[in-house]
Amino acid sequence: MKSVLYILGWILNIEALFMLLPIGTAVIYREHEGIWFALVMAILAALGFLLTWRKPKQMRFYMREGFVCTALGWIALSFFGCLPFVWTGEIPRLIDALFETVSGFTTTGASILPKVEFMSHCSMLWRCFTHWIGGMGVLVFLLAVLPMVGGSNMQLMRAESPGPSVGKLVPKVRATALMLYRLYIVLTVAEAVLLILAGMIPFEAICTAMGTAGTGGFGFRNDSFMSFSPAIQWIVAVFMMLFGVNFNVYYLISLGKLRDASRCEEMRWYVGIIAAATALITFNIAQTGMRLADTVRHAYFQVCTVMTTTGFSSADFDLWPGFSKALLVMLMYVGACAGSTGGGLKISRIVIAVKALLSYLGGFLHPHAVRRVRFEDKDVEASTLFGIYIYFIGAFVIVVLSILLVSLDGKDLVTTFTAVTATFNNIGPGLAQVGPTAHYAHFSTLSKLVMIFDMLAGRLEIFPMLLLFYPPLWKETVGDNLRRLRRRRRSRNADSVA
Amino acid sequence: MMKTIVKNKPGSLQIIVVGCGKVGHTLVEQLTREGHDLTVVDTQAQVISEITDEFDVLGIQGNGGSLRVLEEAGLQKADVMIAVTGSDELNLLCCTLSRKAGNDIAAIARVRNPDYSEELPYLRRQLGLAMIVNPEMEAAKEIARLISRPQALTVNAFAKGHAELVRFRIPKDNILGGKRIMDLESIFGFGYLICTVERGDDVVIPRGPFVLQEGDEITVLSKARDVHRVFESIGMRGSTVRSCMVVGGGRASYYLARLLLDQHMDVKIIEKNRERCRELTALLPRALVVCGDGSNEAMLLEEGIETAESFAALTGIDEENILMSLYARRVSGLKTITKINRITFNDVIDELDLGSVVYPKYIIAEEIIAYVRARANSVGSNVETLYHMFDNRVEAIEFHVGKTAPVIGIPLMQLQLKENLLIACINRGGKIIFPRGQDVIEPDDTVIVVTTQSGFSDIRDILR
Repeated sequence: MKSVLYILGWILNIEALFMLLPIGTAVIYREHEGIWFALVMAILAALGFLLTWRKPKQMRFYMREGFVCTALGWIALSFFGCLPFVWTGEIPRLIDALFETVSGFTTTGASILPKVEFMSHCSMLWRCFTHWIGGMGVLVFLLAVLPMVGGSNMQLMRAESPGPSVGKLVPKVRATALMLYRLYIVLTVAEAVLLILAGMIPFEAICTAMGTAGTGGFGFRNDSFMSFSPAIQWIVAVFMMLFGVNFNVYYLISLGKLRDASRCEEMRWYVGIIAAATALITFNIAQTGMRLADTVRHAYFQVCTVMTTTGFSSADFDLWPGFSKALLVMLMYVGACAGSTGGGLKISRIVIAVKALLSYLGGFLHPHAVRRVRFEDKDVEASTLFGIYIYFIGAFVIVVLSILLVSLDGKDLVTTFTAVTATFNNIGPGLAQVGPTAHYAHFSTLSKLVMIFDMLAGRLEIFPMLLLFYPPLWKETVGDNLRRLRRRRRSRNADSVA
Repeated sequence: MMKTIVKNKPGSLQIIVVGCGKVGHTLVEQLTREGHDLTVVDTQAQVISEITDEFDVLGIQGNGGSLRVLEEAGLQKADVMIAVTGSDELNLLCCTLSRKAGNDIAAIARVRNPDYSEELPYLRRQLGLAMIVNPEMEAAKEIARLISRPQALTVNAFAKGHAELVRFRIPKDNILGGKRIMDLESIFGFGYLICTVERGDDVVIPRGPFVLQEGDEITVLSKARDVHRVFESIGMRGSTVRSCMVVGGGRASYYLARLLLDQHMDVKIIEKNRERCRELTALLPRALVVCGDGSNEAMLLEEGIETAESFAALTGIDEENILMSLYARRVSGLKTITKINRITFNDVIDELDLGSVVYPKYIIAEEIIAYVRARANSVGSNVETLYHMFDNRVEAIEFHVGKTAPVIGIPLMQLQLKENLLIACINRGGKIIFPRGQDVIEPDDTVIVVTTQSGFSDIRDILR
């Protein structure tokens, strides 16, 4: 319990540190909104200082603490992160500001702002920066900067990082986290530089790079990328694809092990699916009379944006034929690679599940045959398989119940369904009333709360968030602490009697 | 792109541990505490997932004898390979492969089978290994040492056996009770040093005015041949032990019996398995091998536990060993030695009246850590021996002093030493010196340091 609060304190400290960036922007552009960021930073630093003032004697960290800490940490992060928007008056309603910030940190990119252009530079930067932090994860950042003693901190990393089985690149958690952030920064900077070279103004290039890196998708123009040049659209599309790849691949490349990197099975599926989907959509929308180059570009851009769950758009795909729309919605569920910054169910899970299905079907032909499911040249453990099945069930339950609750708003089924799909899979734009040119402001408070939960559940891979709503957790935690208090009081009484 | 590898603090090594049983687990625990980067290889996925949850290490599932698996574990960058799987042959294969394919890697293999025990030095030389460790053999040596010093709870050897650190509890009404450390000169007429005192939960390195009490557990360092005089001087004369009753006929018992028989002692081995008894009679013709269940009270009485001089419980089941030793202590209060392989609960075990307790996994871990520390640091001095005492709260380390060490030639009283640290003795070519303030350290000495700090890897670490 104490160690959870301690880690939460550090998360707040880190967020205070991150606030320096919008404050700096405010100073550069001489915007008075910066004052509110400074105030929030002071609050965060004060709270963080109180919680980390004394390090608990025993940093006991098990699975439960790791998951609770992650879920609570992300909620706290979003809550404090939304305060500047409320106080500057740019998003006056708390629920809207919270939705926007959660959408930022979870790299969803679903916005409630009808007109983005009126935002101050510092708020705009903070919006995009939340994508960047949320993409790789704030706990991973914490692990990279804070040397923690005792035991393994894998529980924290595992709770925050996407994928069916989270491993390390190098023996130490801290070195792994540092390595991940280093790769992340290099790729982000590379994109920003390329965008500037392609003629984007630096501020927009930085915002775009951060939005792409986290696979977020907040635009800073209402029409997202429709009015940018083809070169810029190509750069953004390619980088979206790059950030959807498992970061282990980049680690192998950085070590010069190109052959090992190219052998990554998940990445091959990923590239294959993108290529196939791009071809199909190009074929499907070719009748509209666009030039072939434009058609390919728009198809590729939209496939990448949906597959990596980023959510930028270079064309209003809500106007496309039904097949293309259906395919895009399907890709929303597929998502990016495990160990990337993207969301969705993850390609590895889907590939493993399909292989398990095939092997099960084979069992009807040869009931006594010994079968194994292989992925990345390794046998998939029974426990991993089971975890994947449970994940699908959990995702299904969350999506169905969310659709039911959001449908209370009385919107059409396409809007309701794609709104939940786009928030749960951290994409952003859906279809119809939540299409690429639309926004989420028109939903009721209840629907927004449901979608906030969906976004967090989708980003944290459902279990940390579900655990928070699992009554035995709270019953046990409260019970344990009461018992500990009582025991301490009893021993103190015994001392005073003696 | 980025060629840089994240470097940890200097002196941290890349270590691969193959095999994650009792010894592997202990090694991972202690080596991560020393700050090294560990990769663990085991064939069982379950074991790997448990150890990576518990410690900050990288786990690879696979056969440690396969080059592909070893390369996945980072063989090219590794500094040390430790092979401690259940199979001697696999350990040797793994180390041989690492020597050939790795980059000047130090390979340590565990080899336990008595069939190979004679050939270990040859194997080590020919295969180019850094160390071959044999936990049962080391445990047997320690047990033999304990049998020859029946008053001591533990005996640790330094300076190639020339000096010994003995630990014992001050009995009731002993001459030491109530004495100040500085007044003990009159009792002992020879070189000795009281290194540590444990009272209740505290361990201290005592200074001159410190007053000893009965019930304190103290460690005394002296020359090996003076140890019996230490006990004589304080009236703890123990009768020399000339026989030993051993329960369990495993490898440790075999090695122990050989050592004791070489000293012309009588050895009686009680073993349950008749087939194993036959083997033992062939291997150890001079020992008396009894086929029976040592955990049976009647059996022990029949074999004369009441009149035995010493008793070693060395079966593979820790709980049985503990019960048998407790029983032996009750019926005759003789010298008992209990081997514990697996169970943890160290605090509880310490409180039991078990006599001496031997943990083969810790003995071997200390040996390997001493080597790793020396390897982590190649500035001209080496860790020769390392012992953890009092639940890891005290370390006794023997350093070899290189020609350029900054401690050479300076009177000890002028050295700026760290807190809670004692230069216990100096070994100059087999001559044991208990140093005074004016004495100096010379090149090629080995120096034994006792400290409550941890992680020293070099003689210069003793300086502030």
